[in-house]
Amino acid sequence: MASAVELKGVTKRFGDVVAVDDVDLSIADGEFFALLGPSGCGKTTTLRMIAGLDLPSAGSLTIHGEEVGPLPPNKRPVNTVFQNYALFPHLSIEDNVAFGLKMQKVAKGEVGRRVAEAIELVQLGGMERRKPTQLSGGQQQRVALARALVNRPKVLLLDEPLAALDLKLRQGMQNELKALQREVGITFVFVTHDQEEALSMADRIGVMGDAKLLQVGRPEEIYEQPVSRFVADFIGRSNFLPGTVAAASTVTLANGASIPAPTADRAAGTVVDVSLRPERVRVEQRDAAPDDVARLDGVVRSATFLGNAMVYSLGFDWLELEARLENRPSQQRFSPGDEITVWWREDAIAVVDGGSG
Amino acid sequence: MTVVPELTEHERAHEAAESRRGFLMALPAYLYLIVFFAIPLAIVFVYSFATRSRTGGTDLSGWNLDSYGRLGEDIVTRVVFRSFGLAMTTTIICLLLAYPFAYFVATRRPAVRGLLLVGVMIPFWTNFLVRNYAWRVLLSNDGPVSQFTEAVGLGETQILFTQVAVVIGLVYGFLPFMILPLYASLERIDPRLIEASRDLYASSWASFRKVVLPLSRPGAIAGSILVFVPSFGAYVTPAILGGDKKPLLGSYIVSQFLTARNWPFGASLSSVLIIVMLSATLVYFRAGGRNL
Repeated sequence: MASAVELKGVTKRFGDVVAVDDVDLSIADGEFFALLGPSGCGKTTTLRMIAGLDLPSAGSLTIHGEEVGPLPPNKRPVNTVFQNYALFPHLSIEDNVAFGLKMQKVAKGEVGRRVAEAIELVQLGGMERRKPTQLSGGQQQRVALARALVNRPKVLLLDEPLAALDLKLRQGMQNELKALQREVGITFVFVTHDQEEALSMADRIGVMGDAKLLQVGRPEEIYEQPVSRFVADFIGRSNFLPGTVAAASTVTLANGASIPAPTADRAAGTVVDVSLRPERVRVEQRDAAPDDVARLDGVVRSATFLGNAMVYSLGFDWLELEARLENRPSQQRFSPGDEITVWWREDAIAVVDGGSG
Repeated sequence: MTVVPELTEHERAHEAAESRRGFLMALPAYLYLIVFFAIPLAIVFVYSFATRSRTGGTDLSGWNLDSYGRLGEDIVTRVVFRSFGLAMTTTIICLLLAYPFAYFVATRRPAVRGLLLVGVMIPFWTNFLVRNYAWRVLLSNDGPVSQFTEAVGLGETQILFTQVAVVIGLVYGFLPFMILPLYASLERIDPRLIEASRDLYASSWASFRKVVLPLSRPGAIAGSILVFVPSFGAYVTPAILGGDKKPLLGSYIVSQFLTARNWPFGASLSSVLIIVMLSATLVYFRAGGRNL
């Protein structure tokens, strides 16, 4: 499949600060791609470089094979849905949506037709003559989408598109955005700091941290096989069990126990962390755990009721683990002070580079 | 329909106390404005219907519209048109000078902005009259401006006591009143709107025309009114820099009160000036307000 957007060694410096550091990324045509990371990680700057609002300090940036690095935003076949939408307050909804077409000197009749189509697409029929301030947040969001999509860009960029909406609306819009993307078939690249949003909407996710692109993959890959402690910690929650690689596929934990683990090609002696998701931790009464698995004996420190789950803090003499057990009638409950044994399936863990962070 | 519950006794008492407090706080300002603004204006209005007595006094007994009848006289229309043209010229020059500067200031870093704005206001630290006399020195036949043009071979300039001198003085005096509201409206424009327009295929010029210009209109309107209104009735600057060959509205009104001693005519001129300016301002704001 052809790349819709391709970044090679793209770097952006603001004075002494490196905002984006040597990013290589290829986004396929028709893909729904999420750039995910904490604030200040460089994800928005990356998006702005694709849009042309910031120009790369180094590297090559192509859109459908065409180098766009030095081109101003108005010369690129991309459109952006801005955070907080940036709708023109002095123009009606209709004129907001028509703006891009008018700037491109599209014939009047066609402008009218396409604007009507776009407004229909985002279900804002009847609102054409209103001003942006007369609309709700969700409606403004739709106008921003229509204003960008009406130009039929090759790539649609969305900067935290749902951040300004309240929770209920956000969940609804997630589904709508996904459906909309399938309907129009345009490559969507969106930036978010919300991992759930990225996991639920994106075909693939690029996780950024500290100006670098750390991992790119399908949501499952990122969640199941994070490449670093940072990624594991940022996407969902995770426990980290310190240890060292003993041999291929074996890790010696800090308490001396050896467990089977996917060490990949790490050499023996490498300091690693074993990442174990709270919902993958199995908790049993002491000695009720199966015999042929890795297991640890500990004590329940605290129990928290979350409605759909119980979260336990489990104490061991060398670390603490968080376990999340779904609230099912068949699920045994534990109380602080209970002596327990935890275990996990061999395929429940991931090995990440250890040490700090 | 929602049912509005009745206010309880203490809620009512609280609201009454609140509004009483508000009124008391506003009272000094109200009194000041009534005594020194509203009442004098009312007096001017009343005098405009009076008659000039033969000795130059004002006879309040027989009310009539005679003074208003004189407004159509040739001399009056000439003075009004001359003043209007001068005020328009001043406003347009101020707008052209102030807009790029205000835009420049609004796009600087906050610290630099503050510095530049203080710079705009520094002239206010010197008395308006003194500054006008300074221009008289600058523009006089053997002043620096003339010396410069002579030195570069353009010959002696004779700007002082011409309408050009008046416009220079008015622009100089009122330019800050144009810059400040323009700056305020430009500074309020969300830079993301400009980015959005660029993203939507607008060139930087188109982006300015379609986004910045319309969004700064309230500032341009407010600034134009703040410059036009005092320019139209200006007295000090024309008196100092313009000589008295071609009277303007301000000095013409003053001469009715002081020289001709025709208070009713001066008062009617003033009343009409006030009413015209007030309605023009309202119309202007309405027209602008619709597109905000």
